[in-house]
Amino acid sequence: MKRRDFLKQSTLASGMFFVPQFLKAFESIPNKTFGNKKVVIVQLKGGNDGLNTVIPFQNDIYYQQRKTIAIQHNNILKLSDEVGLHKNLQPLKNLYDKGFVSIINNVGYPNPNLSHFRSTDIWQTASDSNEYLQNGWVGRYLDYTKSNPYKAIEVDESLSLMLKGKTQNGLAVTDPKLLHRYMREPFFNNVIKNYNDAHLSEHNLGYLYNALIDAKSSAKYISEKSNPKNTSATYPKNIFGKQLKTIANFINSKLETQVYYAGLSGFDTHANQPNTQARLLKIYAESMEVFVNDLQKNNAFDDVIILTFSEFGRRVQQNQSNGTDHGAANTVFVIGKNLKKQGLYNNLPNLGNLDSRGNLKYEVDFREIYATLLDKWLQIDDSAILNKSFSKLKFI
Amino acid sequence: MKLAHIQHLYNRIGFGITPKELKHLSKKPQKQVVNSIFENSKTTTPVTVDLSFLKEYKVTDFKKKEIRQAIQKKSRKKVKEFGIAWFNRLKNPSEVLREKMTLFWANHFVCQSNNILFIQNYNNVLRKNALGSFREFTKIVSKEAAMLGYLNNKQNKKKSPNENFARELMELFTLGQGHYTEKDITESARAFTGYNHNFRGKFVLKNRHHDEGEKTFLGKNGNFNGDNIIDIILEQKQCATFICEKVYRYFVNDTINKKHIDEMTEVFYKDYNIENLMRTVFLSKWFYDEKNIGAKIKSPTEFLVGINTVVPYKMLREKQLLLLQKLLGQMLMNPPNVAGWKTGRNWIDSNTIVTRLRLASVLLNNAQITYSDKGDEEADISDFKSKKLRRKTFIKMEANWETFKRNYKNTSKKELIQLLVTPKLSVETEAMLLKNKQMPLQDFCVQLMSLPEYQLC
Repeated sequence: MKRRDFLKQSTLASGMFFVPQFLKAFESIPNKTFGNKKVVIVQLKGGNDGLNTVIPFQNDIYYQQRKTIAIQHNNILKLSDEVGLHKNLQPLKNLYDKGFVSIINNVGYPNPNLSHFRSTDIWQTASDSNEYLQNGWVGRYLDYTKSNPYKAIEVDESLSLMLKGKTQNGLAVTDPKLLHRYMREPFFNNVIKNYNDAHLSEHNLGYLYNALIDAKSSAKYISEKSNPKNTSATYPKNIFGKQLKTIANFINSKLETQVYYAGLSGFDTHANQPNTQARLLKIYAESMEVFVNDLQKNNAFDDVIILTFSEFGRRVQQNQSNGTDHGAANTVFVIGKNLKKQGLYNNLPNLGNLDSRGNLKYEVDFREIYATLLDKWLQIDDSAILNKSFSKLKFI
Repeated sequence: MKLAHIQHLYNRIGFGITPKELKHLSKKPQKQVVNSIFENSKTTTPVTVDLSFLKEYKVTDFKKKEIRQAIQKKSRKKVKEFGIAWFNRLKNPSEVLREKMTLFWANHFVCQSNNILFIQNYNNVLRKNALGSFREFTKIVSKEAAMLGYLNNKQNKKKSPNENFARELMELFTLGQGHYTEKDITESARAFTGYNHNFRGKFVLKNRHHDEGEKTFLGKNGNFNGDNIIDIILEQKQCATFICEKVYRYFVNDTINKKHIDEMTEVFYKDYNIENLMRTVFLSKWFYDEKNIGAKIKSPTEFLVGINTVVPYKMLREKQLLLLQKLLGQMLMNPPNVAGWKTGRNWIDSNTIVTRLRLASVLLNNAQITYSDKGDEEADISDFKSKKLRRKTFIKMEANWETFKRNYKNTSKKELIQLLVTPKLSVETEAMLLKNKQMPLQDFCVQLMSLPEYQLC
């Protein structure tokens, strides 16, 4: 048989079966809503060089340690007498000038790990550096609130550890319509309809069916609720811009989703850092400004906090290839409308007091930021999700 | 031996079984079937890729940055190639149990490296020792170049100890959390100081970095080296229990039965012989208990390879295999971290379930799949601009339906259900599937593979 003939005959490809019936899977889950606050988390993947992003331009050590890659005064957007932003961050500076940005320096954790994967895991699971957790902090948030998968959405094809809980998982979506179409295959409807085991969650088969029903219900929810017309803004034509556009669309469409996760890759600048980083920061800042304006236009920005982090910063001393190697503590951006503390949140890094590997020491544990968002923004018991208590910051 | 039991056994020691083999084995008693499995895995056939490009280089070349970078780039490419070669081996294994055990150990002694020479060697160390002595195995692993790099033991020196390897050795490789103290970690790290390897990946002990002093470890005192530490760990019965539990979860059931574990531990603790342990499991009565049959969620690799047992397929663009592995959550050459892949229900979320249920039509029926090509954290980003935003693609496949037709000639649809789907289908589901009497057996097969039930083995 030729493939095309076969394709035609296959019920999976053509839909020979009938009876589309939607299973109301969510009715069994108590739908707790904890307000309509939203958090958008952005990871600059690969380890963004914080020192060339938020630049301490009065610091002699900075210029001594970075003979060929230090950012010169005329290329800095000054925020104060001693610190400024990379010149490609002008769109971010615009947000900064409106009081929408808080810059938190020296964020990290004890005994920093310099592997991308491990350090990303640490940030995503909110673990100690010698602790291996099997679930992410957003996943545990879903567990705790007994939420549907669509409460936390990653704009990607596969789900990161951050959104995986013990019993609940978030959802990875790039194209809700497409996912919905996949799941509307009559075959899947029939499969679900004919499964009638009462002990749905007690064994692995029940677990699989539940996952299927969850996926189907979530796809339907997102696809029906979101309307592309809710984002008319023009985003930069790159993957990151597209991701933020999708998120803006979901937020403007008033999805109940509370946590969104997106990422921009390529920050692992061991060689020829200046051009690469400049290009990526431009992508980041341009998209971010469009995103914030888009939300504002739709009266949605009041309820949104955007957190931008990187799994680690980079070494203070540059290497011989016009680049920087893996480092430790780094800068975090918090973007929002009603920030309690705008501008620079804390002191600039102390370049004269580095750890044994020549990296910045942390001053703010990243989990204090999570705790602050959970406690003050999402209004939930942060210690139940982070497995211990952290002090709260004052940016919200 | 009962058909259902042979199927169960082959689901666990391999990736399913063809009807012909099944029929052949059904005439034999259980003991003989199990014996033949071990007999077939007596030998070891390494997986290799062509490494001739390395011959051109000398140690001194590594000092030159440009040459070094060129080698590294080539090496990363070769690692991908190796991942494909490994997968192809799994699809056509001559030593089935050995290959399955290699997969098991790859998620136990977890390691990752971009150095093709080191990681190829490491992978074949897993293969070679998969059914041997756990004692020797652990000692060899501790000296492998890939592992020395992965867990930073190369940086473990008398003057500045690095505890990474020592910690994971106990936490993940031998004892499990809570069976040692932080002091035991510090002390054992000293025993592994000076471990290193040469340019070709051969182990060397750098005496000047090795700590010759006395160490106190798990209640013992002495000038221990790394091998001594491993011997002392293995004296703990907990080590045998820890490994047996892991084997049980992988080969029998996610839920531990303490009685069965005790039985296994008694056998394993005697001499840490892996083959004896596995033989005990496959010959036990409880291995064939109803509640163990069809109880496990297939790993992405078991799932992908299992389809191939029924309908052999070939990827026309071999790199697309990596894409599938990524979407399903198990890129063989890229374990998530030293704790390895989280198995069982962790394989499944809303995304992977959809990908899995659609996969048979994607692979065998030319359905479309979407993905973003963003590269990973360490990817070369020089071609960032040229990458398209989001792609839709067809997995270019050649499904060998001729083999399927030959293997399942005269097989009724009801029989095909028995052969492919391990858990019992509900009456309604079976009726739904059988409703369309005109449907060809191939299409019927694709449907069976699209059932949640097919995810279990």
